[in-house]
Amino acid sequence: MKLFEYQTKELFVESGIPVPKGKLVDRDTDINTAIGEVGLPCVLKAQVLQAGRGKAGLIQFASTKDEAREKATKIFSSHTNIRRLLIEEKLNIEKEFYLAITINPVLSSILVMASLEGGVDVEDIAKKSPEKIIKEEIDIFKGLLPFQARNVMFGLGLKGNAFKQGLKILSKMFDIFCRYDAELLEINPLVLASDGKLIAADAKLIIDDNSSFRQKRFTLTRDYFESDIEYEASEKSIPYLQFDGTIGLMCAGAGLTNTVYDLINYYGGSVANYLEFGGPNYTRAVQAMELTLKNKPKVILIVTFGTIARADVMAQGIADAIRKLKPNVPIVTAIRGTGEEEADKILRGIGLEPLKDTESAVKKAVELAAGGSAK
Amino acid sequence: MSVFVDKDTRVLVQGITGKEGSFWTKHMIGLGTNVVAGVTPGKEGQVIENVKVFNTVRRAMHECGANASVLFVPPAFAKDAVFEALDSGIKKIVVIAEGVPVHDAMQIRTGSRSVGAMVIGGNTSGVITPEVSMMGIFPYWIKRVYKKGSIGVITRSGSLTNEVTAMVVKAGFGVSSLIGIGGDSVPCTRFAEVLPLFERDNCTDALVMIGELGGTMEEEVAEEIKSRRFTKPVIAFIAGRTAPIGKRMGHAGAIATAGKGTVAGKIGALSKAGALVADRPSQVGELLKTCLN
Repeated sequence: MKLFEYQTKELFVESGIPVPKGKLVDRDTDINTAIGEVGLPCVLKAQVLQAGRGKAGLIQFASTKDEAREKATKIFSSHTNIRRLLIEEKLNIEKEFYLAITINPVLSSILVMASLEGGVDVEDIAKKSPEKIIKEEIDIFKGLLPFQARNVMFGLGLKGNAFKQGLKILSKMFDIFCRYDAELLEINPLVLASDGKLIAADAKLIIDDNSSFRQKRFTLTRDYFESDIEYEASEKSIPYLQFDGTIGLMCAGAGLTNTVYDLINYYGGSVANYLEFGGPNYTRAVQAMELTLKNKPKVILIVTFGTIARADVMAQGIADAIRKLKPNVPIVTAIRGTGEEEADKILRGIGLEPLKDTESAVKKAVELAAGGSAK
Repeated sequence: MSVFVDKDTRVLVQGITGKEGSFWTKHMIGLGTNVVAGVTPGKEGQVIENVKVFNTVRRAMHECGANASVLFVPPAFAKDAVFEALDSGIKKIVVIAEGVPVHDAMQIRTGSRSVGAMVIGGNTSGVITPEVSMMGIFPYWIKRVYKKGSIGVITRSGSLTNEVTAMVVKAGFGVSSLIGIGGDSVPCTRFAEVLPLFERDNCTDALVMIGELGGTMEEEVAEEIKSRRFTKPVIAFIAGRTAPIGKRMGHAGAIATAGKGTVAGKIGALSKAGALVADRPSQVGELLKTCLN
């Protein structure tokens, strides 16, 4: 789960990491009041989860109240899913750094990364001149040791008070990273202001979804999703992604679903949605088909090769779904695995012609999607 | 010979009394696996499929001994169960659980390596030597998928494994041993780390690797081939070549891996190292024939 900037900054304020003076507003809030608290000039930052907000025009500066109001209206109307703006004081920037904590899966260590060149293009820096990225590998059992924090802050060329502040900020970031089961905690840019103080100008935190049983503070709401269908799928714990193609996918297992996605593109088709109803969801074919139909596919393609997910149970679910939802589109199936003979009987019983091979099924779905709605 | 699990491996099942644990214990025994004991805290005295159940791993080890453990416990308890097994000296552990928190997985990986143990998973179907033994959840009774033979398989995906092993069998081959590394971002053991097992295994003539987009495990295998630490033919299939980029991990992920992790990059590295890369699962069989017949 990726948090909004304002949520991560909430955590920063609680733990004592300095952030700019700011005020969160929504469409109905009186901007004047907010600016009264924050001061001018200010910066307006759309609270959306997409990367590259600056380049997309979702971060704007304003030096008068009128300008701020005008730009706020513009940002709100530019994008369908912007619910909130964070209005912050504009910092006097001396220098910008990049500071992040993530996971190194190879060593299973926690990786601290920093760069003298903060800002938006830090990925390019990493590719073109990797020597400019300062890295410290943290042992998960030892935690962040003081010498490692010093390596990072000296590496950034910090001295005096700023150096001491940097050590504190990193140590508090590390606490947040561990306490919230984070995959990523990033400050970009970390600003050295003209008064010599370090401030987290932007903040990003991604919490590991697998830790949701013990991370109860933040819960997913509609705000976190681009589409209603994706939100609905998430509420039902069914992995779902929405695309703009014509073949609706119901598959079991991420690897197989990705392969079917590739094969559809290989044979010249396009995907309407990615949906997995395997694993713990294999008895939920009715809900899976309901979701699949929402994006109006021309064909539904169902491919499984299950272990725990029994083929006969899935086939029965599909039969129930067809009876209940009466989909007005052709359905192609390749359902294999435990109980597949029984699955075949069930599918034939409702007038489908079950296939045994993934690639034949994909080819047939692509043909049907291109050629109309013959059932 | 087989890698990781054979008929002499003495298997402990942690979480044996649960729905999945008891169901798959029956099937592991059905294949021929030597299951010697089960553990579920509070259920000592029960017997599941003729296997005695104990409260703790320590008790089970004292009564029955075991040199491998397979976990059917919920993801939230996986870390505790692994460390309990490690504490009793077990060096081979398979974690089936899907959804182990990544911070727990890091601790498991670091902790197990420090005592020289190998933990396979999480989010895996496990490990199987067809027609001999398994620690995991494989539909071994489907003969067109799990037939004994000379092809080693390593994989990140359960569902895709069946798809690809079916192609191996269809081409007239069978599987020597299969290790499911699992689909998590931090697997407790990586592809490259199991290659020595297959290199040493005289029943394995070639290796099929089933990979996916993301991470750098496939690139590490390319390194092992290039440096001649792994010398048997490798056929790779990588899923996700047309997947839309960037729903996951932001900046730091991309910086940490410095542009690696794309399917194109993996295919490039593997081809350059001398592996054969299948564009589609159906090509795996043909490529095996090319390099073995």
